[in-house]
Amino acid sequence: MIWRRALLLTLLTLTGLALETSLFGRASLAGTKPQLLLLATIALAISEGPELGATAGFTMGLATDLVLGLPKGVTALVYTALGYLAGMLRMQVLAPTAWLPIVMEAAAALLATLLYGAIAVLLGEAAAGGGALARHAALGALYNALLTPFVYPLVRALGGRFRPQRVYRA
Amino acid sequence: MIRLSDSKRRTRLLLALLLTASLVIITVDFRTEGDGVLDTIGRAAVTVLGPLQEGLRKIFRPVGSFFTGLGRVPSLQHKIELLERQNALLRSNQEQVGDVFRENASLRQLLAMRQRLDLRTLPSQVIGVTPSNFERSVFIDAGTRDGVRKGMPVVGGEGLVGRVIAAGASSAEVLLIVDRSSDVAGRLTPTGETGVVQGSGTDLRLELLNPYAKVAVGDQVVTAGYDQGVYPAGIPIGRVTRIPPGRQSLSKVVSVQPLVDFSSLDYVLVILGEAAKR
Repeated sequence: MIWRRALLLTLLTLTGLALETSLFGRASLAGTKPQLLLLATIALAISEGPELGATAGFTMGLATDLVLGLPKGVTALVYTALGYLAGMLRMQVLAPTAWLPIVMEAAAALLATLLYGAIAVLLGEAAAGGGALARHAALGALYNALLTPFVYPLVRALGGRFRPQRVYRA
Repeated sequence: MIRLSDSKRRTRLLLALLLTASLVIITVDFRTEGDGVLDTIGRAAVTVLGPLQEGLRKIFRPVGSFFTGLGRVPSLQHKIELLERQNALLRSNQEQVGDVFRENASLRQLLAMRQRLDLRTLPSQVIGVTPSNFERSVFIDAGTRDGVRKGMPVVGGEGLVGRVIAAGASSAEVLLIVDRSSDVAGRLTPTGETGVVQGSGTDLRLELLNPYAKVAVGDQVVTAGYDQGVYPAGIPIGRVTRIPPGRQSLSKVVSVQPLVDFSSLDYVLVILGEAAKR
């Protein structure tokens, strides 16, 4: 049932955005802030698959663009691609370890910052220089990796609770 | 029955749809330049999120301050011994009244600035900071309901803060002058030389129109306030901190330290317009 997924995405997006702009807006790691909505997107992709990963990426990315006054669609594009990729990669791993979500979240944060920077430059937006971009990407990856043990289990549990119930027909 | 290949095909189709939608949104946004339907939706979203941010800010402020403090530890190590001695004496009092004193000082400065400007202003509190690593902006607890509109200048007790870039009903987003996309017409107070003050992410740089302009470290920079400009004239912006040696060709660029400490911004004034006639 699609409304269960819609409810889950709305809940995670609103909570994530409010936390990003209040608590984590000030709690930076050497000047770099975490990407909570990307954390949630990748966590959903790992636990629920590439379909929800891509949908969550688009929803949360677009919400980020709209609320933060960023160039519209850029974060949506980046998060959609990463949500899908994370879901596909997870399906290839037969025996996942506890480190897998941490490594995937860190890699996704690193790629998201670099991709966003590259697209911003292509669109002629004022963006940080190469050195600052690499620094933000590395620190952002570290920050998201540190937050994964707290966020991933929570999002995975919510994903399971809001999973559509299958209807079997004779 | 849905076969595995059907499921894969459906996922790929969904991905293609979402990526195409993103690209269409990027194109539409690029063409409308901040005045399209997407920006209207964005402003509505800011309005919905405002009260939630306000509540969370109150709950999490001590936690946020703790994390911010962690980042400063390396540069403060040599002062630890001295501070520990002072702390033992002051801690009991300071913990109770420190916040009140800071707030009081900040509000006094804001009041002085308000009297000095002689403009219609609206006091407002900072309720959030953008989490983006590419943009320097803050959210304030005043919106269109209070008369705040896009483009209005915002000042703090020490000087210029920025301008409103999006306004919801009860909250608004303010682009800080240190943001890379911020341009402010500036003037050096001792000589009257004018130029453009641009943000560099953390500090400011002043590009003087006259390459032979006389400028010294410590000179104050204020808004130039041209007729068509966003900012009224005479609002303090910062002080010149560095003048690169050697001759520069078409213009002269100097480093400027903003007067406002953006890491601890609490209360601001939104300039609504000219002062009411008395």
